[in-house]
Amino acid sequence: MADSMSSSGMSSSGMSLSGAPATASRKIIHVDMDAFYASVEQRDNPELKGRPVAVGRGAARGVVAAASYEARVFGVRSAMPSTTALRKCPELIFVKPRFEVYRAISQEIRAIFARYTPLIEPLSLDEAYLDVTENLQGLPTATGTAKAIRAEILKATGLTASAGISYNKFLAKLASDQNKPNGQFVIKPGMGAAFVANLPVGKFHGIGPVTAAKMNRLGIVTGADLAHVPVAQLVQHFGKAGRWYSTIARGEDDRRVNADRIRKSSGCERTYLEDLTALPAIDEALAKLADEVWGWCEKTNIYGRTVTVKVKYADFQQVTRAQSAAQPVASREELYRLSCLLVRRAPLGEKGIRLLGVTVSGFPEQEAEHPDGQLDLLAEA
Amino acid sequence: MQLTIEKTGLVKALGHVASVVERRTTIPILSNVRLDAKDGELSLTATDLDMEIIETVPCQVKTPGMTTVPAHMIHDIVRKLPDGTEIELALDGEENRLGISCGPAQFFLQTLSAEDFPSLSVEDLTHRFTLSAKDLKRLIEKTRFAISTEETRYYLNGIYLHSLTKDGAEVLRAVATDGHRLAQIELPAPSGATDMPGVIIPRKAVADLLRLTEDGDEEIALELSETKIRATANKTVLTSKLIDGTFPDYERVIPQGNDKQLEVDAIAFAKAVDRVSTLSSDKGRAVKLAMEGNKLTLSVHNPDSGSATEELPVDYDGDALEIGFNARYLLDITDQLESGTAEFLLADPGSPTVARDSGDAAVLYVLMPMRV
Repeated sequence: MADSMSSSGMSSSGMSLSGAPATASRKIIHVDMDAFYASVEQRDNPELKGRPVAVGRGAARGVVAAASYEARVFGVRSAMPSTTALRKCPELIFVKPRFEVYRAISQEIRAIFARYTPLIEPLSLDEAYLDVTENLQGLPTATGTAKAIRAEILKATGLTASAGISYNKFLAKLASDQNKPNGQFVIKPGMGAAFVANLPVGKFHGIGPVTAAKMNRLGIVTGADLAHVPVAQLVQHFGKAGRWYSTIARGEDDRRVNADRIRKSSGCERTYLEDLTALPAIDEALAKLADEVWGWCEKTNIYGRTVTVKVKYADFQQVTRAQSAAQPVASREELYRLSCLLVRRAPLGEKGIRLLGVTVSGFPEQEAEHPDGQLDLLAEA
Repeated sequence: MQLTIEKTGLVKALGHVASVVERRTTIPILSNVRLDAKDGELSLTATDLDMEIIETVPCQVKTPGMTTVPAHMIHDIVRKLPDGTEIELALDGEENRLGISCGPAQFFLQTLSAEDFPSLSVEDLTHRFTLSAKDLKRLIEKTRFAISTEETRYYLNGIYLHSLTKDGAEVLRAVATDGHRLAQIELPAPSGATDMPGVIIPRKAVADLLRLTEDGDEEIALELSETKIRATANKTVLTSKLIDGTFPDYERVIPQGNDKQLEVDAIAFAKAVDRVSTLSSDKGRAVKLAMEGNKLTLSVHNPDSGSATEELPVDYDGDALEIGFNARYLLDITDQLESGTAEFLLADPGSPTVARDSGDAAVLYVLMPMRV
């Protein structure tokens, strides 16, 4: 791919009513199901066991939503176009996603979490942060708690999970990747800075390839390098984010596990190595962005009715164009079509475009479809 | 075309067919009603392309013929003509206009060719059965209030009519739901209905079907296929497309194990709900029901305006329970009860509640609570 992702952040905000103070030493677990959708499919269909499986549509415009570990060996990754995935792995078996099944299992898993702590921050169906500082089972260590939770998940669902245990969210998330699949890893208090020091900056959650490449050009390759750069200099190069980079470079992160986190929008944007000028190229770029955003909508089953397209020109001038429909955007194609429509309302043709972004917002929960607390009878039918 | 016809019959038929005609339409001829005079009858046809209604009225035909004129316009004209009079309709073929005369009053309406009038294509209607007007009316009246108006769930925008075997007997069942409440009524299936496909009759057709049952006919013949339904009464034929969708597996949301039973005088209950809900806001029309022993306390608390409570004597056999409902939904249900006693089967404040008419086992309502 000629372009690279600068930030694919799903912006979120919300208030916390139950977040615990973050200052004292916390015990945080990041639980991440192993190849969740694909594992569910392999669990439910023995013929798929041990074979490369992709959940998603195998059609020309389809995208891999999740890949089994057998498929990952071939380089198949989630969010990869199905055609690319098939090229990498001709044996790949596509399975239609069954989100209602994944949601049900996710509920089951969250119920297990809830037996250990009320402080649960789900990131998606297959991932969550838990604050187990004061766990309900009275277990003495977070390591033991993580083991117990993973064992319960395996027993209840037949699926494996990996866990990262540490004293903040940033480190816990880094840790959960260490012994994947079906493993766990601890970064003990005081070890964060050392752990991060040897890590390439590109591995940091929140530092994308473009930022990483820019850091590399500045001579910043590892966490240790990053920690040595004065904050002021980082802010100068990377704006506000520089402050955050400096914090995580020391293995610090004082964000609380937010049990009431409400996602307000889901968006994706990319900076292109070469400025885009031609409409076909712009539309193609939008198709990729729409695919990613739609992947998130499908994964979380949250659909918004407002679409915003952001355009940043070569001279860093930026415009956004947004449109709200009466109903949430219903399909990937509709999201793409709306994005193409919106981008044409921005001035095009004079200046090259260095960045494009597509965001969906206006989710029904926030708009309170039933502001009055009316419960839905057909939610399960 | 030339004929004379009594005002009474004509205005009634025009009123019926005009209800199908959209006030604003982009296809001019859809604003029109087709008039077809022959064999001592005038038949009037209107359509919105989803539904078609044909009414016939006896008249004296001097010259048979066909034309179309704006439906609402001719309806308004005829409505204003003196009662008990005879009206003459005459087509001036050269001028393309229809003359309407009644005593000294004369009107000429622009016509459009009857040949351009669209007709609803009807393939084979595979199933046919007859219902008494009373039964059809009951099927509709007991359920239509629960039809959804939400367009995203278009398959809920109608009444789901289907047949099934229940306890060894064939029944014809009508169900409507908007996702908050559900209404169901069943009748012994008339012969011919037992193997019918399940169909979703759209809201607009439901309204006209109901009207059809109020025309004094004893029986109404229903014919249907998977895509169309036709109802034939003595003077009216109503044909409608069906909603092309799958009605949800509604039986799954009808709770079977609700063990807390509440019986209350339906009228006293409705009046109390109506009284306390005076205080509810537009947004949240929640009324809280607290039952304990043989006492039901209804309450509304609106931070903006105040609070209200009212106690009612009831028969209640469960543990103390508090549950909230939309007051409007409760009243919609009590409006349908005929026996005078409402029976509620409850589980907990977050689960569907069943409501029944204690004198009528054929109807069943399910109501989803509100958080209060």
